[in-house]
Amino acid sequence: MKNGTAVSGKMAPAAAKDRTDPIYRFIRIVAVVSIFFLFFPGLNPARICGLINKNISLFTTGVSYSALTNGFGKAFRKAWVTEATMRGLQFSSLAIIIGIIAQCAASVFTTGSNRMKRISTLVVIGGTALSIIGCVGIYLAYLTMTTTIKPQKVLPEIPGTFFAMLVITALMLIAAVLAMVLGKRSKKGDPVTMPSKFQLFAMCLPFIILCFLFGYLPLYGWRYAFFDYKAGGTLSLDNFVGTKWFTYLFTNDSTRSDIIRVMKNTLGISGLGIATSWCSMAFAIFLNEIKNKHYRRFVQTFTTIPNFISWVLIFAIATAIFSSDGFISSLMVNAGIWKKGVNMLANGHHVWLQMLAWSLWKGLGWGAIVYIAAISGIDQSLYEAANVDGAGRFAKMWYITVPELIPTYMVMLLMAVANILNNGMDQYLVFENSANSANIMVLDLYVYKLGIGSGLIPLSTAIGMLKSVVSVILLFVANGISKVTRGSSII
Amino acid sequence: MAKRTPAFKAQKVKMSAGDYVFAIIDYLVFGIFTAACIFPFYYLIINTISNNKLVAAGKINFWPVGFHLDNYANIFKLNDLGNAFVVTLSRTIIGTALMVFGSALCGYLFTRNEMWHKKFWYRFVIVTMYLNAGIIPWYLNMSMLGLTNNYLAYILPGIMVPYNLILVKTYIESIPPSLEESAQLDGAGYWQRFSKIILPLSKPILATIAIFGAVNNWNSFQDSLILMQGAPKLYTLQHRLYIYLNQSSNLSSLMSGSGSVSSSAVENLSNMKIIKYTVATVSVIPILAFYPFMQRYFEGGIMLGAVKG
Repeated sequence: MKNGTAVSGKMAPAAAKDRTDPIYRFIRIVAVVSIFFLFFPGLNPARICGLINKNISLFTTGVSYSALTNGFGKAFRKAWVTEATMRGLQFSSLAIIIGIIAQCAASVFTTGSNRMKRISTLVVIGGTALSIIGCVGIYLAYLTMTTTIKPQKVLPEIPGTFFAMLVITALMLIAAVLAMVLGKRSKKGDPVTMPSKFQLFAMCLPFIILCFLFGYLPLYGWRYAFFDYKAGGTLSLDNFVGTKWFTYLFTNDSTRSDIIRVMKNTLGISGLGIATSWCSMAFAIFLNEIKNKHYRRFVQTFTTIPNFISWVLIFAIATAIFSSDGFISSLMVNAGIWKKGVNMLANGHHVWLQMLAWSLWKGLGWGAIVYIAAISGIDQSLYEAANVDGAGRFAKMWYITVPELIPTYMVMLLMAVANILNNGMDQYLVFENSANSANIMVLDLYVYKLGIGSGLIPLSTAIGMLKSVVSVILLFVANGISKVTRGSSII
Repeated sequence: MAKRTPAFKAQKVKMSAGDYVFAIIDYLVFGIFTAACIFPFYYLIINTISNNKLVAAGKINFWPVGFHLDNYANIFKLNDLGNAFVVTLSRTIIGTALMVFGSALCGYLFTRNEMWHKKFWYRFVIVTMYLNAGIIPWYLNMSMLGLTNNYLAYILPGIMVPYNLILVKTYIESIPPSLEESAQLDGAGYWQRFSKIILPLSKPILATIAIFGAVNNWNSFQDSLILMQGAPKLYTLQHRLYIYLNQSSNLSSLMSGSGSVSSSAVENLSNMKIIKYTVATVSVIPILAFYPFMQRYFEGGIMLGAVKG
């Protein structure tokens, strides 16, 4: 998709009249197609026996031996399959991966000058050679596998996509050789350059690929929400269940009551956060009333530190202060007021308020920075005029400072509303215990527990999916409100 | 108009009783909140450097008694804590360096209008900021890419941070184009222009994103928790701390883990409480130590964030 569209007609590079142009266009399209072979489990050409997990892609086969041999414990012990065969399979896959990456990278550089084209075509040929070597390796591994003593268990079978892979590689090779033969020769001294638009794009491409891998590719995982999938199982038409998991959320009684409870917690904790969001503004306003510059600086410095501390560390601090052998307990015990220490973290009362208190402790000073900066930007003549009119301290705060800060506050408020479902999970995960579990379980934590803890991948994916969609909608609504009321967008 | 004095002087002249009360309350409230922010750290630290017997008895509450640093010497003999420290430190350095480089380079490239389909690719990158597949698809994707139980899982996903990219791009756009043009006339290519002109000039913003990136890397916990389930050697410091915090007060579980723990070292750390406090202090000290250097950069950074776009 990246390289293939690179030559959509009018965008063709400098040597536009070259007769090899269609060939290069073809090479780039094939390169893009071959990327799909890397990442889509359904297209994995290295799945040469029934024991290999259906959900691993060619890429995984090549880079992770443990994922590849996940189901091979018994096969290795009983010597149905040798480790050497699987290692061979892994390295063959790795050869194909490197080959495909080389082809793709080189096909980007076929947008350059004639000399560069020919060099990159050579790289493409090298890449296809590597891919073919890998294919031969896979075939050899398959042949070794057919000699197994237990074919009915190992199920050696050469997948159809293996031949597709071969065809595609062969096409690439033929095209590259053709381009070499038909293209103009180049000498050593010829310029190796690219048009600047492609040069810039080529420099950016590695980062765009990272974005694709970690930003877009996870969305492909949403397909799990439509299958009846168990960890280690497979996705196929047999276990396609359509929207079963989405309706299950509302029809299954225990899940429904879970969801209602979780939503109550999520909205409750977020709601408290929103209801106290003015605190940072008040913090900034009252801090500004302190006339001693050093004291102000001191307060500001030390109240921002908690923002840079992870939730795990905050939990460590909470333990140090509130647990049964912590600060408060030892004070009370030493003073003889309590007989023994009390673990104040393990109580189920006012859990939302406890969480709010920790959030405020962490975020109040930090949240104030933006308001402090805004206050320093307020026109001082407003205050002078108010002084002349005899306005008191609070009148100046209320009638000058607050209205000046409201636009900033509105942005923060809208962002908080857009993020109402995204509490994050770290805080609630670390503070969760058996006493407060029922009231602390927010959506993010629930999805994590359901998916990673209980292995209910389809259900948790479905919930996560709904959450993501609702969050995006909320964001756009907030943005729309901001556009209408403030005339500028927040995203 | 000549008689007008600055606001604060005018107030000083007519400080009423009400003003005094207000000032006292104001100073006091902020003083208490600041103390609440500092004291827990102080409490942790004095408990790790005081006589361990007194600590175990809960006698160290306001000042250290029986100063010693043995806990810090002994703590690294515990199971895999040294490992966790190395993993966390290395990912902080490598991950931050690559993130800064990536943001700077892409930020520069996306200011060049001659880039092929610049607008489309810029949006392609920025949209990922709002795309969130959810934690399970993310996990499945990482395992599909072979990044579970793999150190690279700490580095690769963090290189492209759209928000940082926006910050850097906005900053680079404010650099006078004439500087780059003069280099272009001298025949410098994109790479040279980037490394010789843009990179040095955007140091302030790069410092800002480096600090945020480093803090995030140092504090990272979730990726270790979810992705490294089969590789305890790759746990981050925060993850280790989390495990220690959830451990019951007996030491047997720590000692049975590996033979490398000398029992005397564990005896010296006579109490799980001290282990927890010391590990917590070890993971918080780098942040406290670098904080004064960080402060002037992040305050600039948060304001830049307000004008993104």
